[in-house]
Amino acid sequence: MATQGDRVSVLPGDEIPASLIPSHPKRALKLGPGLRHVPPSELIPTVAGQLVTDRKKNSIWVEYNGGRYIPAVGDLVVCTVQRSGPDYYFVTITEYSSNAILPQLAFEMATKKTRPQLNHGALVYARVCLANRHMDPELECVSPTTGKADGLGPLVGGMLYDISLGMSRRLLMRKSVEEGKVAVLEELGSAGLAFETAVGRNGKLWVNSDNVKTILIVGRAVKETDDGNLSVEQQKKLVRKLIKEMS
Amino acid sequence: MPREAEPSLNERAFVIQALQEGQRLDGRAFDQFRKLDLKFGDQYGVADVTLGKTRLIAKVSAEVTTPYTDRPFDGIFTITTELSPMVSPAFEVNRPTETEVLLSRLIEKTVRRSNALDLESLCLVAGQKCWSVRVDLHVLSHDGNLIDASCLAVVAALRHFKKPDTSIEGDAVTIYTAAEREPVPLSWLHSPFCVTFSFYGENGEITLIDASLLEEQLRVSSCTISLNKHGEICQVAKLGGTPVEAISLIQCASAAVNKVKEFSTLVDTKLADDLKRRDKGGLMAELSAENER
Repeated sequence: MATQGDRVSVLPGDEIPASLIPSHPKRALKLGPGLRHVPPSELIPTVAGQLVTDRKKNSIWVEYNGGRYIPAVGDLVVCTVQRSGPDYYFVTITEYSSNAILPQLAFEMATKKTRPQLNHGALVYARVCLANRHMDPELECVSPTTGKADGLGPLVGGMLYDISLGMSRRLLMRKSVEEGKVAVLEELGSAGLAFETAVGRNGKLWVNSDNVKTILIVGRAVKETDDGNLSVEQQKKLVRKLIKEMS
Repeated sequence: MPREAEPSLNERAFVIQALQEGQRLDGRAFDQFRKLDLKFGDQYGVADVTLGKTRLIAKVSAEVTTPYTDRPFDGIFTITTELSPMVSPAFEVNRPTETEVLLSRLIEKTVRRSNALDLESLCLVAGQKCWSVRVDLHVLSHDGNLIDASCLAVVAALRHFKKPDTSIEGDAVTIYTAAEREPVPLSWLHSPFCVTFSFYGENGEITLIDASLLEEQLRVSSCTISLNKHGEICQVAKLGGTPVEAISLIQCASAAVNKVKEFSTLVDTKLADDLKRRDKGGLMAELSAENER
């Protein structure tokens, strides 16, 4: 186990000291991905990564970058429509894995007559609403309680980039600059570029803008940050370089 | 059999639009290669080529066998390519996809049929014994332009390779180990390289060099030209796709000459570096039993 600043890195099989495990008087301890509970009270990491704890929620997990996306309920994903069935669209969340289903009525204001017509290859931003181990996952583009889309739905135009799963988690963090250490999107925005993005937990980033060059800059900035594992300072430098190059 | 994942409609539309505005996804110029790197292994005849995120390893091996009965004076030279499921789930073992068949066919045409390797020099005893040289090409990761990268890997590996020295007395052939006599390089006549051009637009008016995987999936047609640094064309392959203007093919050929000259210099310098690395104490010249040609 290595500690660097406030970050703790673990290897599979490491011992986790009790001081790092959160203890809450009322809530039960929640284990996230990458940890295994050996009764009665031992916790063993199963992957190499950064140990993260949330004392408020009384949860602990290992943040790692790699592997294949496994759908979990509540995740936002960018998926591709493969074909349309009588009541469902069959979509892929990850290439070369089995299809997920997206009901044709699971869009905002969709009725039998007003449902969106999606062709093979169209992109949809959706939420996973059912994910069981041996079943195809089910998606939705509308909140079942409010009936609002909340930004979900078909993605028109723009460009899709493949990013690592770790990068997509970092981008989706509530405070992505402080916690996730990704400042590229904020930097690009403050440099005066107008664009919109949709981040899928399945390692997809959709970028749209009126200007082709803006899309290219955003895509390259995020991909290079991801590939090079750049720090916040380096990201700022990269953004300045890219903007200079493209203008 | 899993099919290769197709790019979405958005990607298709955007890449074409960006190309029409003169931009590539990774910011390269239209006639620019990705970062090309060539490394040699500790053994003779192992070349490791990295082109952007595409990576291949070529390994050359040689053994003594009986020659083919219809070609008693020639040695045997085979090239095998392997695209394993490690590269992409769309590839399966023992079931070659179209990509793999085209790849091995083009490499075969470029290197073997252009007589880059002098087969007669592989003959030991006519009709009885000859060297069989085999190149195994392993693709480790596929991000487009496999053909150019693998041709470079095969040529570099063959030029780096040395086969054991032999001596013949009557019908008895002695093969010396590396400790007894310094191995000898293959008799290499010229170095052909492939350059692949991808065409976009309705009439193929946009031409790209070194297309990435996404760009490769979206092209309307492609053309592979193999030639050596003297500008001698070994083969031109344009397999189907949209017809292309004759003028642009000629422009491609002249662009290919410049690229091949760069490849040629790269392989030459890397080979010279490798030789220097191996030649400890400057004994290599003395150990070699080879005569100047």
